[in-house]
Amino acid sequence: MALRPYWKGYLKLSLVTCPVQMMPATSESEKVRFHTLNRQTQNRVVSHYVDSVTGREVREEDEVKGYQRGENEYVILEDEELENVALESTKTIDISTFAPRDSIEWIWLDTPYYLSPNDPVGQEAFSVIRDAMESQDMVGISRLVISRRERAVMLEPRGKGIVLWTLRYGDEVRDEDTYFEAIGDEKADSEMMPLFEQLIKKQTKDWSPKMVADPVQERLLEIIAAKKKALKPQKAKGKTAPSSPPSNVVNIMDALRKSVAAEKRATK
Amino acid sequence: MVGPRANWKGYIKFGEVTCPVALYTAASSSERIAFNTLNRKTGNRVKREFIDSETGDPVEREDQVKGYEVENGQYVVLEADEVAAAIPESDKTLAIDAFIPCSQIDTTYFDKPYYLAPDKMGRDAFLLLRDGMRKQGVAAIARTVLFRRMRTVLIRAHGKGLIASTLNFDYEVRSSEKAFDDMPDMKIEGEMLELAEHIIGTKKGSFDASTFHDRYEAAVAELVKAKIEGRALPKKKAPDASKPSDLLQALRESAGIGAKETKPKRTAANVNRGAARQKAAKPAAKAKQAQAPARRAG
Repeated sequence: MALRPYWKGYLKLSLVTCPVQMMPATSESEKVRFHTLNRQTQNRVVSHYVDSVTGREVREEDEVKGYQRGENEYVILEDEELENVALESTKTIDISTFAPRDSIEWIWLDTPYYLSPNDPVGQEAFSVIRDAMESQDMVGISRLVISRRERAVMLEPRGKGIVLWTLRYGDEVRDEDTYFEAIGDEKADSEMMPLFEQLIKKQTKDWSPKMVADPVQERLLEIIAAKKKALKPQKAKGKTAPSSPPSNVVNIMDALRKSVAAEKRATK
Repeated sequence: MVGPRANWKGYIKFGEVTCPVALYTAASSSERIAFNTLNRKTGNRVKREFIDSETGDPVEREDQVKGYEVENGQYVVLEADEVAAAIPESDKTLAIDAFIPCSQIDTTYFDKPYYLAPDKMGRDAFLLLRDGMRKQGVAAIARTVLFRRMRTVLIRAHGKGLIASTLNFDYEVRSSEKAFDDMPDMKIEGEMLELAEHIIGTKKGSFDASTFHDRYEAAVAELVKAKIEGRALPKKKAPDASKPSDLLQALRESAGIGAKETKPKRTAANVNRGAARQKAAKPAAKAKQAQAPARRAG
């Protein structure tokens, strides 16, 4: 895997510990990505930080996290200090509980990550945890600090690896009764059901990633391709401009010589 | 009582049946601890500015435009209305293209969940869809323009209602097969597997989100307090990874088998016996400490 892991740490089951790495299961890299340009100059727009009091630019190495204590009072926290925050769950996924795979409703699933061993030394320990969960049809429940929040996480074996899901917090999922209560307890009309089941059967297909193709992205790429064609003459201009700077005589002589040499080769 | 406000109103269509529905956000995201970015040299807050990469001049919001890089430094400019024009007109209809067996659903495509409830008029059709899908063990795939984006949505029965999950696009989800491709094929069997299964059995429980609490903010507050008081900040040690040669022993001790031998006599003579056993005993104590607060918190 050429990708740099998003997180590195340890997976732990009781006395068994193995080094692991994690990367997000989703990626923005294939998306049509736009940059922000300055309409006036067509140059890229970049962001930088300035000191709110002096207005001077702040270099990246001078940027530091501040924890607000009072109205204008901050305590500086270096990244290394934050790494030592007194929670095991910053570095270790300690599986505290196992639950039947289907006992966790999908609505709790937030963000998926792929978890794999980070060192051949942990391969066997990782496989033991994975295979035991698989054979028992169980998922592991643990905690993990991800981007400054401690999350409940679920570990689910998948193929040779493990999918780690962050689970939503209790107060993040809205109470379904608020929305569904008015539906009542009535069931569907049993007379219509056989017909509808026939329709379902007729329209049932196997899952395919084609079902989640993005027609809009394809259209955007077409628009871009069309505009790119219109851009071509400009491109030639752009290319020659920097190669012929307001030059002195020597440069011109050089250029002429080269041109002549090229002509000679061509006529030979 | 006024009901909750819908985030979207439209129709579900399956076959020739159409039923009006309302869509509600089912999950929100809570905030994470906010730090301010400071200038280390002055201690002042910093603020973000958008500047032209060549001229260094600030660029006003109305002069910022989307550009797609076609080749080295060449950009195609797309105005907001051009991007918007690529999105089809919304027909406010979740037209079901297909049903798929629930067992085939790849959850890594899930984006955001929404509750779907019938609008007064469409209750019969709604109940038919809900109960029919449940009976057949399927979910429905539909596509529509939601919140000005073209989305594929997976609709499934949930309690008395339906849940519609927006799905990530194919190019947004990494293949798990590729992600795990580098790993050797290893299948664990025999005693190791049995021990691990036994350990899982002893840790059987359930997930209850209501008892889970984020301890991160409190831990940072503690760190800040220590820093202000000039106390030494804790240094965290990386845990010891189990060596492959110790794995079986670690599993046995985790399962409570073979641990008895190491427990009783802790004489000086015992301490020097077998490095492997010593090693296993130490993390055991650590594990208990680490687990205690976790259990209390849920």
